[in-house]
Amino acid sequence: MVPLPLGQVWRIADEYQLAGRLDEAEGLLRRTLEVAPQQPDALHLMGLVAFRKGRVAEAASLVEQAVQHGVDTPLYWRNLCTMYERLGRYEDAVAAGERAVALDPADAGAYHNLTVAHYRRLDLPASIGCARHALALDPNLPGAHFALAEALLLQGDWAQGWEEYEWRFRTAGAPQPVPNPTAPQWDGAALPSGTLLMVADQGYGDALQFCRYVPWAVQRCAHAVLACSPELESLFRPAFPNCRIVTRWEDAPPHAAWIPLSGLPRLHGTHPGNVPAAPAYLHADPARAAEWRARLDTLLPRGFRRVGIAWAGRPSHNNDTNRSTALATLAPLGDVPGTALIGLQKGTPLEQIGRYYRAAPLLNLGPDLTDFADTAALLAGLDLVITVDTAVAHLAAALGKPVWLLLPYAPDWRWLLGRADTPWYPAMRLFRQSAPQDWAGVVADAVQALAAEPASAPGTAA
Amino acid sequence: MTQSPTQPCPCGSGLRRLSCCDAPPGTLRPTEAIRHLTPLIERATQALRTGARAVAEQLAIDVLELAPGQTGALAVLYEVRKSTGPASAVEALIRRLVALDPNNFWALNEITLLLLGKGSLAEAELHARNAIRIAPEAPQAHNLMGMVLTEARRPQVGEYHYRRVITLSGARDPILLANLAWNLKTQGRMEESRALYQEAGRSGLPVMQTLLGWARMEEADRNFPQAADLLDQAERAVPDNPSILLARAILLGRMRRQEEALAVLDRIAVLTPDGLGPNELLEKGRLLDQLGRYDDAWVAFEHGKRRARELTGYGYMAGHANEMARRLKGFFVAGRLRTLPRGTLREGIAQPLFILGFPRSGTTLVEQTLSAHPRIAAGDELPMIGELTDLMPRLFESPLSYPEALAELWMGDRREGLDTLRDHYFDKARQLRVLRGDAAWFTDKMPLNETHLGLIGLIFPQAPLLHVLRHPLDVVLSVFSNHLTHGFFCAYALDSIAQHMVLVHDLVAHYRAEMPLRYMPVRYEDIVERQEASVRSMLGFVGEDFDPGCLQFHENRRYARTASYAQVTEKLYASSRFRYRDYLRHLEPLLDVLGPLIERLGYSV
Repeated sequence: MVPLPLGQVWRIADEYQLAGRLDEAEGLLRRTLEVAPQQPDALHLMGLVAFRKGRVAEAASLVEQAVQHGVDTPLYWRNLCTMYERLGRYEDAVAAGERAVALDPADAGAYHNLTVAHYRRLDLPASIGCARHALALDPNLPGAHFALAEALLLQGDWAQGWEEYEWRFRTAGAPQPVPNPTAPQWDGAALPSGTLLMVADQGYGDALQFCRYVPWAVQRCAHAVLACSPELESLFRPAFPNCRIVTRWEDAPPHAAWIPLSGLPRLHGTHPGNVPAAPAYLHADPARAAEWRARLDTLLPRGFRRVGIAWAGRPSHNNDTNRSTALATLAPLGDVPGTALIGLQKGTPLEQIGRYYRAAPLLNLGPDLTDFADTAALLAGLDLVITVDTAVAHLAAALGKPVWLLLPYAPDWRWLLGRADTPWYPAMRLFRQSAPQDWAGVVADAVQALAAEPASAPGTAA
Repeated sequence: MTQSPTQPCPCGSGLRRLSCCDAPPGTLRPTEAIRHLTPLIERATQALRTGARAVAEQLAIDVLELAPGQTGALAVLYEVRKSTGPASAVEALIRRLVALDPNNFWALNEITLLLLGKGSLAEAELHARNAIRIAPEAPQAHNLMGMVLTEARRPQVGEYHYRRVITLSGARDPILLANLAWNLKTQGRMEESRALYQEAGRSGLPVMQTLLGWARMEEADRNFPQAADLLDQAERAVPDNPSILLARAILLGRMRRQEEALAVLDRIAVLTPDGLGPNELLEKGRLLDQLGRYDDAWVAFEHGKRRARELTGYGYMAGHANEMARRLKGFFVAGRLRTLPRGTLREGIAQPLFILGFPRSGTTLVEQTLSAHPRIAAGDELPMIGELTDLMPRLFESPLSYPEALAELWMGDRREGLDTLRDHYFDKARQLRVLRGDAAWFTDKMPLNETHLGLIGLIFPQAPLLHVLRHPLDVVLSVFSNHLTHGFFCAYALDSIAQHMVLVHDLVAHYRAEMPLRYMPVRYEDIVERQEASVRSMLGFVGEDFDPGCLQFHENRRYARTASYAQVTEKLYASSRFRYRDYLRHLEPLLDVLGPLIERLGYSV
């Protein structure tokens, strides 16, 4: 083998990394670091590879070594800012970000990273300031626009926020709401003879929250079509009788315009004072609800309050490390007498159920839930849902079921700040962390509230 | 080292290997061809009858070297070896005899008693059943079934066969009556048992076994002076008998006279050439434990377990256990379970209430507590779930074994297969008389039933599943200080107790994550510390109103048949919690294996 100069090895590794060939990059870098263990670029690149492989703590440690052995490279600090942010070390993230922009005041990306770090600390003026600084440097930086949108929306400035929110599909890696669009995005103007294609975009929670606008949109066009995932189909079909539902792109008819459901609040001109929020805008099928109720009656103790729980959302969500938690965090709810917990969780976090040993029975129904209509039918038989910020919260609240939502310190923009209620759902109560990652506190609040609730009689669930 | 086929057979029969355990099938001669040996066989039989054992032995060996399958000669040699040993030859010869002559009632009787003595109950039962098939009117055939089923913890069916003996023989033989009395004792029917012992005692000379069984019955029924008196009588009849002395030691232990009990055990040690056996050593350890001599107790436990391994050759079947766990985890997954049917509720009958848990975790305590409730009957350790796993391939006519045989439920003609299993369970429960008319529930507290939690969840999706948890180190310690065969013989060594515990808890965690189960954990420590709260929570979970009688479970006169019977007749005592602390030094090596489980279950060290 012909030895290659170190710089060339490093470049090849970087190409691998950029191409997503992480194993090959890692192998090459590992060999490089065996020869040159203090080579800062290799350390930094290895950190990026580790970060992309989900080993964030190791990534931060590698980049810290790069900083230690290298000159004060702004790129290292900039990446360290994001790594600290993912690790929940927000003070360190801000310090690293500030170091990065001090060293390279023209780096819009560094300002963007700092925007996010400030957001996590709920320092919204600083976050907005950094976002605007980034955009001054690079007006077409989608991430900065999106971060600005989140901060503006969170502080209640929805008119400005919706405009910036339009950048959400332009951020790196964001899936497009319509593949190969043949028509323009809808501007909200009436389509007296045309077909409007609505798309249930982003996560299931977004679709469940923003589907409330479907009737509003249906009134403004001759024909309405809603494209959604099959999991939502049987819930949406009876809810929107005047709208055709499709689950495959090839079934979508020719249309005059398209719009993602998450684009409807902007067209509607929604602000915190005028959210269309009927007590219940989705409904469970009565026959299926009766089946679930009968099953719950056989599986749960009489007279126990039936509390549905979920503790984790889709892991690909960009703030999942903060919004999701572990069943163990919610487990103190199982100490409240007269409570039966019903596991609504799906996916790999289900395995945590095997490690729950609190007093309240926990009935794991996640494996038996087939789609959202099924989940809705089950929810109809519960007294309360206590959950982190995930789709089932929106579903239960849209059904008019009481929901206690456990939020991270810096929540998603839609939950606003400083209030225990939400304009989106009248039956929802918000429990907020008083410090980043303070799940124990927020769960203790919920436990206290649950213990204070009068116990329900069997069959009182609406 | 390989042995030559012409060398003596290692079983010790006195035959060459090729004429004994390694005899190829071709060496079995047709009856006609060996008719000339008949006079030799007759002489051998005659010699045996007249006590000329050496002659009988030589003649039998001569015949068998020529015709290894000659059953008459096998019978003679078997009888000779029964008095001379070794045990391996006795077993090999009687097995061969039964295989060659399956309709020989005498041979069936012999092999059944032999297997019963060894504790190979499942195999003993096969032969006892054959005995009845051959001779349905023979009292001894039913006597064998009675003995086997009493030992195999199906005393209700055993009782039927003992009573058949009385009917068929038209007599009330004292030994049979004593056997039936022991059977009734294991069913907790102490008054009936006592009456039979008294009848057996009146009808002649005191038989040591009868007195011993009677004494143990009285001890179990807490009539300690009566038990002591019976042991005195037994000892007068047969002085220095180790079984009587062990019973004495156990009785003294229950009377809290530990020092005297230890002295009795010391006497046994002097009397027996090999020293104390496993049961005696474990009893000694428990007595020392009560006296606070923990290190000495530990030595006795270790010694007892070692002796048990040496004497039986049993040890943890780790390979089997791991393979079983692997297959169960592979089969019981959410995606497959969604496609399988569920058993339906059988109306108009008491429903099972499963009390799950590792042996010695407090399942007996929970059963005694719950069965003090007027609507809950005690079913004890019901063998049916384990039996169903064996029976399933036959019931489903499946080429596969459990759990894969559950795939038959996808067939049109097996859709109701789970109800078939359910009905089998109820039929057996009815035979075992656990279906009390006025009860809504009956308990099934077979330890380690949680290994098959998935199957239980399929057959009985609505059954309450109470999983008794206790500090793992306390459970290990308790299993280590008692004799148990559950769980692939894990109880025969300290480390395998821990290994199997982790394996079973992992399985439970797996089932709970993969399927909806009406499951509730119950902590032994909570029952001790906060008895009323935990009783209320268990009953609430089952769906029954609170009954104050459940708090007085120690007054529940029901006899618990398992090793815990002495503890559950005492009021709750806090010293039963965290006993492991006195043995931490000895248990420490297990923390590598048990540490994560201890933490997961919410305990600490």
